Amino acid sequence: MHVPVWHEATKVLWKRGKVQVVGILEEQHPDRARLFMQWKRMDWPLMVDSLNLLEMPEVPVTLGIDEYGIVRLVNPPRKDAGRLEEIFLSKTYEKPSGAALERLTVPDLTRTKALAASGSAAALRAYGNALFLWGGPARLNEATEVYQRALRLEPADGATHFHLGVAYRKRYDSEDRQAGDFQHAVDEWKTALDTDPNQYIWRRRIQQYGPRLDKPYSFYDWVITAREEIRKRGEKPVLLSVEPGGAEFAQPSNGPEISAAEREAPDPKGRIVRDKGKLILVEAAVVPPTKATGLTARVHVEFRPNVRLKAHWNNEAGPLAVWVEPPAGWQTNGHYFSVPNPPEPVSVEPRRLEFELKPPGDVESGVVSIPTYALYYVCEDVNGVCLYRRQDIQLTVRLGGAKN
Amino acid sequence: MRLSTPIALVALLVTGSQVAMPQDPSRFKVGQRFPDLVLPSIDNGRPTSIAAYRGKKVLLHIFASW
Repeated sequence: MHVPVWHEATKVLWKRGKVQVVGILEEQHPDRARLFMQWKRMDWPLMVDSLNLLEMPEVPVTLGIDEYGIVRLVNPPRKDAGRLEEIFLSKTYEKPSGAALERLTVPDLTRTKALAASGSAAALRAYGNALFLWGGPARLNEATEVYQRALRLEPADGATHFHLGVAYRKRYDSEDRQAGDFQHAVDEWKTALDTDPNQYIWRRRIQQYGPRLDKPYSFYDWVITAREEIRKRGEKPVLLSVEPGGAEFAQPSNGPEISAAEREAPDPKGRIVRDKGKLILVEAAVVPPTKATGLTARVHVEFRPNVRLKAHWNNEAGPLAVWVEPPAGWQTNGHYFSVPNPPEPVSVEPRRLEFELKPPGDVESGVVSIPTYALYYVCEDVNGVCLYRRQDIQLTVRLGGAKN
Repeated sequence: MRLSTPIALVALLVTGSQVAMPQDPSRFKVGQRFPDLVLPSIDNGRPTSIAAYRGKKVLLHIFASW
């Protein structure tokens, strides 16, 4: 891998203070890179650029920057990693004319808000970025609203669509999630990519959650190996705020155990009582392919016991089950999916399922509803009444629009 | 917002504007000035920048763990 190779070749220089090694992350979940750093024993400082404000069209990129902030090396070949002193550190660079020490511009929320009052899309975008970066979780809602205002002025601004998608996904991963956040994130990323199909970082953000066949390579299969090796060293692996899901691993078996065994529909006549009070909250997102070929979409469904109602999974009964019945001609990797219960009698953890859907070849555009429902055992409280309930899931696949 | 960045080499100038984006960052070229973008540190979320390392040679990796 690119960065560990460079680290091995330059770590002595870094430890001796000959060069300052720094990383900038272009990633939705930066704590995963912390685990990666721990695994590879890389301990230099990292900055987070989840929004891709650097406008990187690709990664990884390695740069040598001199004492005055001027780029002197651009993607030197890996074979030169052991020659850093020769090709960069031993060289003397001229101070550029007029290159006084730059003042660092630190965004200030009050001032950026005042500038946003001008109503220009650029000022609103800057304010949205400032809220996302420096406002903390409490300002995430405001960030999404400000990005939306910017997009009303410039609807074709791909970068702002991408930023809004990143903010939606971040809120989805937080306790302040709102219904539809994940799907909105995917839709915004897709809109962004449609404005610039060459933007690799934007494309990768969709592929991270998209159908397996749409990925050039796996995303986070290394997490399993990293944790094993870190534990063997006697260390505790860095905890991840959001565990990678099935789409983010190379093998679907690394996600929830999915039983794709064919069987009869568990409630074909719809006789099981519906969970009208929403003891279990369901969030579904359909992630399209980033290429037109195949048109397979990946579906993510997450189930969470409603904390407000003190709902719990009843693990002493059967597993959470999902039945998918796509229209004739559609392909799926199974109709029946289930998530096994953990050993404790009751629990409140979120449960996730992923599966893929492929429309018939002659269907190229349109909006198709996929009949889907879940059956589960849920208790109204730890010692409350336990029920068997059904919840119909709104699953909509939008076909077409994949122009690249 | 409390700003307590430990950046010693640069003066803090609190303004409302984001720093200028490179016109074409896909082509970082030798001789180009690296943008003084202010980003959160992964350790504590505080603002930091490549500009904090002025006076030192920097080896910068822009990457993702995937």
